[in-house]
Amino acid sequence: MLRIRDASVTFPASDGQDVHALDHVTLDIAPASIVVAVGASGCGKSTLLNAIAGFLPLSEGTITLDGREIVAPGGDRGVVFQKDTLLPWASVLDNVALGLKYRGVSRGERHERSRHLLELVGLADFAEKPPYELSGGMRQRVGIARALATDPKILLMDEPFGALDSLTRETMQQLLASVWAQTGKQILFITHSIEEALTLGTTIVVMSPRPGRIVARFDADFVRDFAENGDIGPIQSDPRFIELRQEIRSLIHQPEAARTGTLQ
Amino acid sequence: MTLAANSPTSFPPATTQRRPSFRPRRSASTKTLGISLVTLAALVALWFLAAQFGWASPLFLPSPADVLTQFGVVAADGYANGTLLDHTLASLGRIAAALGVGIFVGIPLGLLMGLNRWIRGIFSVPIDLYWGLPPLAYLPLLIIWLGIGETSKIVLLSLSTFAPICFAAQAGVRSVPVERINAALSLGASRLQLFTSIILPSALPEILTGLKIAIGAGLSTLVAAELIAAQSGLGYMIMSAANFLATDVVFVGLIIIAVLAFAFTSGMRWLEQRLIPWKGKL
Repeated sequence: MLRIRDASVTFPASDGQDVHALDHVTLDIAPASIVVAVGASGCGKSTLLNAIAGFLPLSEGTITLDGREIVAPGGDRGVVFQKDTLLPWASVLDNVALGLKYRGVSRGERHERSRHLLELVGLADFAEKPPYELSGGMRQRVGIARALATDPKILLMDEPFGALDSLTRETMQQLLASVWAQTGKQILFITHSIEEALTLGTTIVVMSPRPGRIVARFDADFVRDFAENGDIGPIQSDPRFIELRQEIRSLIHQPEAARTGTLQ
Repeated sequence: MTLAANSPTSFPPATTQRRPSFRPRRSASTKTLGISLVTLAALVALWFLAAQFGWASPLFLPSPADVLTQFGVVAADGYANGTLLDHTLASLGRIAAALGVGIFVGIPLGLLMGLNRWIRGIFSVPIDLYWGLPPLAYLPLLIIWLGIGETSKIVLLSLSTFAPICFAAQAGVRSVPVERINAALSLGASRLQLFTSIILPSALPEILTGLKIAIGAGLSTLVAAELIAAQSGLGYMIMSAANFLATDVVFVGLIIIAVLAFAFTSGMRWLEQRLIPWKGKL
């Protein structure tokens, strides 16, 4: 269980006015749930992820993972970045095995586990390739496999499919849903796409900028259906999906209305 | 929740959507090689014709045949206290010693300067100060301090190779993308693992670029220093020959230096292809 309590992140700005990137956010991420944070640029969703990953210190509040406070990056939180961060000098297999290598797992064992993960993401035939010979979508799959290799407690995904074309993106969403169904990982997923949030989230938190905070949260379970059937069409034409999409859209476009409670 | 217990079904493997890779085709480089060889042949032919028809006095432009003959004479009997091999080895020995210092002191110090604010603050000022000076300007000072022997020349050359290598290593460390470091940390890398598995290989392209610059700086400083103050070496041989207007020997010396420079450049290119075939990708 990941617990975020009153977390704030403040940056000093050049004009002396502090920027409240994250303002008293409280959120729980339970095992086997996918929490999707959705919002416009600057709403603090990436700041939230970076704080959980340990890349950014909190100005106030606490984040704990299974009772242990987060103070630095660590192998118990796997991160998938928007821009892939694979090592160009290592093969796809060695990239996936990197975290296991850091833990001192023997070469044979880490290669075996990495091959298994590459199968999971459908890249078994590409193990020996250098990452720069792969397409953007394939590299993100390697990134997911790499983050899963050390069996982290939580997967943090920062707009991982944001740079992909829409067809590849759909395939990747399907892949993530199936990986989630098979591994039962708790996942925090950041996106600015409302459809993606609804398709993948078991909980959707809507964030708004200046100061960055959570303005609403919804529960959804379209992802279970999606993981089972792999077809996005019927999900997106579900009346409940359309209704939620409209509601979230108004929240993002009129955060003031949300704060005064007229949309609740 | 563990990974071992799962995956009865796997995601369908990707096979078709390979991105075309944008590597320059090999034929492009062989095409320019042909053109370059023709240019070289034309230059030699022009030289031959100029000497043959006496367009210039042999004092200024010896014929290719004379240079070739002189090459054999200098190689066998020697010129200015040593054979051609002696002079070449003397020059190569100096530049090898200087590159050794540049590599074994410059790379570690540069890496430390990239990693630590204090070390960077302390060392960048003296290096910046002397690196701005033309090496020959402080050669007289080195001769006063260290004498006319090998030490002053090797120190001079080491100073000229050390700075570019050191700066390159520092820049290499500073240029590592922060996302790559964050990714390694979130995979559980220790500080030492972060250095050996991420920072050092990421800095390698910059270090090799620095090495190329150092070889260029070292070679020009070497010959200049030998012209001024030496009793051996290719620069010394050229200067001695010039004093007796032995233009053909000057040509022999210049051709050897050109061949050495070309060999260094090709060697570095080979090293880059071996060590960092991924440079500029991803």
